[in-house]
Amino acid sequence: MHFISKEMDQYLNQQDYVDTAVVPLLQLDLSANGMKPSAGASEYLQTLTALLEKQFKGRILLLPPVSYAKIANRQRIADELTEELQQTKFKHVFYLTTDSEWRTIDSMKNVLWLPAIPIEDMDQSFKKSVMEDQLRQVLPLFTKEWSHHS
Amino acid sequence: MSNNRVSRRQFLGYTLTGVGGFMAAGMLMPMVRFAVDPILQQHEGGDFVLTDQAVADITEEPVRVDFSFEQTDAWYVSEVTNSAWVYKEGDKLIALSPVCKHLGCTVNWAGDPEQPTQFFCPCHAGRYEKNGQNIPGTPPLGPLDEYEVQDQDGFVAIGAVRDNTLV
Repeated sequence: MHFISKEMDQYLNQQDYVDTAVVPLLQLDLSANGMKPSAGASEYLQTLTALLEKQFKGRILLLPPVSYAKIANRQRIADELTEELQQTKFKHVFYLTTDSEWRTIDSMKNVLWLPAIPIEDMDQSFKKSVMEDQLRQVLPLFTKEWSHHS
Repeated sequence: MSNNRVSRRQFLGYTLTGVGGFMAAGMLMPMVRFAVDPILQQHEGGDFVLTDQAVADITEEPVRVDFSFEQTDAWYVSEVTNSAWVYKEGDKLIALSPVCKHLGCTVNWAGDPEQPTQFFCPCHAGRYEKNGQNIPGTPPLGPLDEYEVQDQDGFVAIGAVRDNTLV
């Protein structure tokens, strides 16, 4: 489900079934040279999470991307997000990111780090097949986590 | 020259009537054409989205067929890609919606290795028969929706979604 008020009603009724939160973590780089790769990574991450939401609509809640500056303290963001999510009923939380610095944060579980693929120059059908390949790599991580804990 | 020669008055009369008639026709014809246009519109295939899946390649085993169309959401126009599970029952094409009737996940044909002839929803292990009938005891409460489907020049065309007519 998307984080929109219309779907929140449904979520609140179905909390037992929607037990997984997905948080995209997005680094903003607004320097002259970093802007384009940063935008590309954002596009990639949001396309991927949208596809993921479509596949697992009834079990995941896709939160809006958490965007932060390059110099942001990842550990602090991690602690704050974890604390915020602790008051929810989610049994599983996945973080998706293209920012490699998250790999050094040990306190967060289920951080899926994916290298961003520049999809902006691809034509529509090729982009789609590339993104579906990417999705296929991510899906088993979810189903594994789910079958592991239930 | 005989007696029935055309007088100047008659000649002008004919000419003006003729020209006036053409002018009137020139104005009326488009009006009439516009008025009857909705009746002449071909509705066949109008709401169907053509896919690049050849009908000849469809077997009794459901395959995923993607189709794209433009969707307007308030002021935001986006291209939406949906998919359908298409198979043949005898010579009849059948297209089922992949949207699980439980909470809207995407179901897969033979997604569960233990049930190779059923649709499987990975979210909460919902299962459906090949005709979309939900299997009792699994979370879904109704059968999968069906798409209207057509053979357009050898390619699959997918139309509006409707309630399942097979179960």
